[in-house]
Amino acid sequence: MKGYHLGELEELVLLIVGILNQEAYGVSVAEEIKSQTGRKVNISAIHTVLNRLEEKGFLKSHMGGATEERGGRRKRLFSLSASGRAAINEVKLVRNRLYDQLPPLALDFSNG
Amino acid sequence: MDKKRHYYPPKLADRFLEFYCVPERLEQIQGDAYEIFYLDLEEKGLTYARLRFIFHVFSFFKWSNIGFSKFMHQRNNTGVMIRSYFKIGWRNILKQKGTTFISVFGLSCAVGCCIVAYLFIANIWFKGLNQPNKDELYQLVYTAEEADGLVTYGTVAQPISELIPNNLNQVKDHTRIMMEFPLLIQNNESFYQRTLYVDPSYMDMFKYRMEYGYPGALREADQVILTHQLSEKLFGDKHPIGQELSLVVDGEEKLFKVGGVLEDLKDMDMFNFDLLVNFESHPGAANDASLKDAWSKELWTFIQVEEGADISRIESDLGEITKIQNQVDPENPYVKMGLIAYPDIIYNVGKIEKGVRDFLGIGPQILLGTIGLFILLLAVFNYINLSVLMASKRLKEIGVRKVIGSKRSQLIFQFLSENLLVCFFAIFLGCMMAGFIFLPGFNDIASKNLQIDLFRDKNIWIFLGALLLAVTLITGLYPASYLSSFKPISILKGNQKIGSKSVFTSVLLSFQFTLAIISMVAAIAFVQTNYINANRDWGYSSADKIIVNVPDSKDYVPLRNKLSALSSVVEVSGSQDYVGNWITEKEVEFGDEKYSINFLNAESNYPELLDLELKQGRMFNSDLITDTQESLLVNQTFLDQFGLVFPLDQTVKIDSANYHVIGVVEDFHTEFFKNAIEPMAISASPDSVFNYLTLKMNPGSAEGSMDAVKKIWHETVPMGLFEGKLQTEVFEREIADANGVSKLISFSATLSVILALLGLFGLVSLNMTAHIKDYCVRKVFGADIGDLSKKLLKRYLIIWGIAALIGGIFSIYFISSFLDSFFAFNSGVGIIPIGFALVILLIVIIGTVSSQIWKVIKANPAVILKSE
Repeated sequence: MKGYHLGELEELVLLIVGILNQEAYGVSVAEEIKSQTGRKVNISAIHTVLNRLEEKGFLKSHMGGATEERGGRRKRLFSLSASGRAAINEVKLVRNRLYDQLPPLALDFSNG
Repeated sequence: MDKKRHYYPPKLADRFLEFYCVPERLEQIQGDAYEIFYLDLEEKGLTYARLRFIFHVFSFFKWSNIGFSKFMHQRNNTGVMIRSYFKIGWRNILKQKGTTFISVFGLSCAVGCCIVAYLFIANIWFKGLNQPNKDELYQLVYTAEEADGLVTYGTVAQPISELIPNNLNQVKDHTRIMMEFPLLIQNNESFYQRTLYVDPSYMDMFKYRMEYGYPGALREADQVILTHQLSEKLFGDKHPIGQELSLVVDGEEKLFKVGGVLEDLKDMDMFNFDLLVNFESHPGAANDASLKDAWSKELWTFIQVEEGADISRIESDLGEITKIQNQVDPENPYVKMGLIAYPDIIYNVGKIEKGVRDFLGIGPQILLGTIGLFILLLAVFNYINLSVLMASKRLKEIGVRKVIGSKRSQLIFQFLSENLLVCFFAIFLGCMMAGFIFLPGFNDIASKNLQIDLFRDKNIWIFLGALLLAVTLITGLYPASYLSSFKPISILKGNQKIGSKSVFTSVLLSFQFTLAIISMVAAIAFVQTNYINANRDWGYSSADKIIVNVPDSKDYVPLRNKLSALSSVVEVSGSQDYVGNWITEKEVEFGDEKYSINFLNAESNYPELLDLELKQGRMFNSDLITDTQESLLVNQTFLDQFGLVFPLDQTVKIDSANYHVIGVVEDFHTEFFKNAIEPMAISASPDSVFNYLTLKMNPGSAEGSMDAVKKIWHETVPMGLFEGKLQTEVFEREIADANGVSKLISFSATLSVILALLGLFGLVSLNMTAHIKDYCVRKVFGADIGDLSKKLLKRYLIIWGIAALIGGIFSIYFISSFLDSFFAFNSGVGIIPIGFALVILLIVIIGTVSSQIWKVIKANPAVILKSE
């Protein structure tokens, strides 16, 4: 757990950026979150998270991929950095470890 | 996807985003916002998409995103940018010397005229407002019940000022001010001078800069303070302090010493005066006058209140004084006394009788203002037309700048900065022109003393600044916004045409022509009227007559006898007033009706001596006693106006005496042609004493005998001012006035024609330069001069026609009422002024266009068509 502080939305965005692989930018992240989880997240919130993750070093970005819809403006495309990948793994490990310690639910009658 | 071409996110929100966002994040944020906008547009429609866009813009408004990039960015560059705007503007001006000259010259003439008009009007409205204490000064006024309602007077009874210290609180100072025209004698020369009799505190309340001496000089009762002008007139280069002069009031001569001289007031003081005298030295101020007399004398009284004084309290305190006044002088009861703030005096002209200022002269103000505005409009239109046309040479520049990314506002700023340069020059030159050419000329005509005082008058700076701003914006906004609206692609492709034939240009041009026509009609009609009036029959013979004033009744008989003895004098006649001047008005009654007429009381030989033309009846016969007691001669207007026929079957009553009308004379001009001929009656009196003597001289000797008459006059009258003049000169001042106005109008007409000419010349020559190839091709194919000039002239002739129609109608209505306001006897706006004006303008147009056609004729098509 040392150093990897990830909020819930941060973790989600980090995962989605990883999934989108080279095609992750504000709008596509928002769309992906909506289609994968059904959650509607405001675009400005996603921007904030993306920028914060980049500041923490979990994401790296470059400009590219101008389209007509954007009025010729380029996108800021994000991708996972090594430490980002490590953070996901770390979070997942912690999750799994914690999960494994959950007592079995309905089948255990010993304390009943 | 089709929708994208038609719909855009809301502009304002987009701008706001650009405004606040840090530059490194702007592209990303704006791009995303746009993308979502178009997604929403496809799914949910325009309104929803727009609303969401706005919502997004605001949701991005977070601390980390805010940088006010545009703002910060601009600030770094503004200096450089503005400098380069002006540099480009300056180069453009230099490149187009000819047209710039036309614009600057026209504008500076116009600015010059406007400055003169402004100074004239400001001189009336801002007069006296440079007094430092102006907010603490108040004038005492009172209201009285009169036959026709309440009337407010600007004067109060003389002793009221003595009551002020005891009855009013919070009053620092007070002064009485009385204006008189005493005879001033200095070094054996005498003059009538405007004199203010004031209390010494006057000099503390009103501040003047002194040229010599000190303001306290008035505390000595035998000292006077002169204005700069009077001191120069009396003493020339001599040091004026301590010089002696004497004033004659009510026949009493009193010696004074000059205690101080004011610096030139430049016509800007509230009071018009030539010298200030201590009130105590006026014979009327002496204490031996009875109480009653003192109270019946009224004069201006001013008070200075303490700072922050409660005016309403002082006004209520005035009630005490009103009570005292009404006790002492119950015959003239005051209803109420009040205060008028010094700066408000000008706004109360006309509401207050006997005020400090009683005349505004709206007519001349309107005349001058209109002239200034006319010329300014002409020059502004010239400039607009020319700058639009000149820009046709700069189309490529506009296109390239737009492609490189300059915004429309930047282009507008570029054009406006060029305008600002031109207008700045124009105003600078206009000040010079006004100062060195227009103002001296105008002062001469109007006998004014107007000056541009850049150091002390802050209003002129406001005026010039406002003028600069207004002219720059008016001349600049249309061309700038028109030119910057072009699409770069059509400019660079060469499709963009600048309309030298545009409707706008034509409208401006016809407006200019109309103004030129109106001002020409005014000038020609005025000159024509002056010419006709100069040759108008006065209704009597003015030749060989001298009029002499008699200041004192005791000098009348000796003077009359001595003048009759002069060999060149044929006949002498006395009269109460004289023909050629203002004549006493009296009320006349026939039966029950009352009319106001001019009533001239004279010796019985006066009508014959003047050579009035008898129409019916007979002249006075001095041998008949009835003629010198109850007979009248009347003029034709008298009969016409009252619907009477000679001989009258009834007597007329004047001052409760009955008169018979014994004769009718033809109308004659007692006053200048400005005024209509009034009904007039002449009565003959036996040997009474009159104010004036009219001498009939041997033919041709009148002018030569003037000196002899003056000598006799001075021998007989010990103290007085000789005001003798020839009967032929009685209208001299009015004629000079009319000539002045006529000069002014002619000048402005000339100027407006020159401006219209310059504008037209600029337009035609620019047009010609742009289309010279066109004309050369026509020439090659055999077009002759007639065809070419027809093509060029046609448009201008149509504009001339429109202007002629509008200008003609306007002139007939406005110029004739303008003439009527100046002259009761005028030529009217007939065929001559309008015809002349139209022909002059036509000649100007044809001349200008033919000068350009000449250019085509001289041009060698081969050279022009070959060169590229």
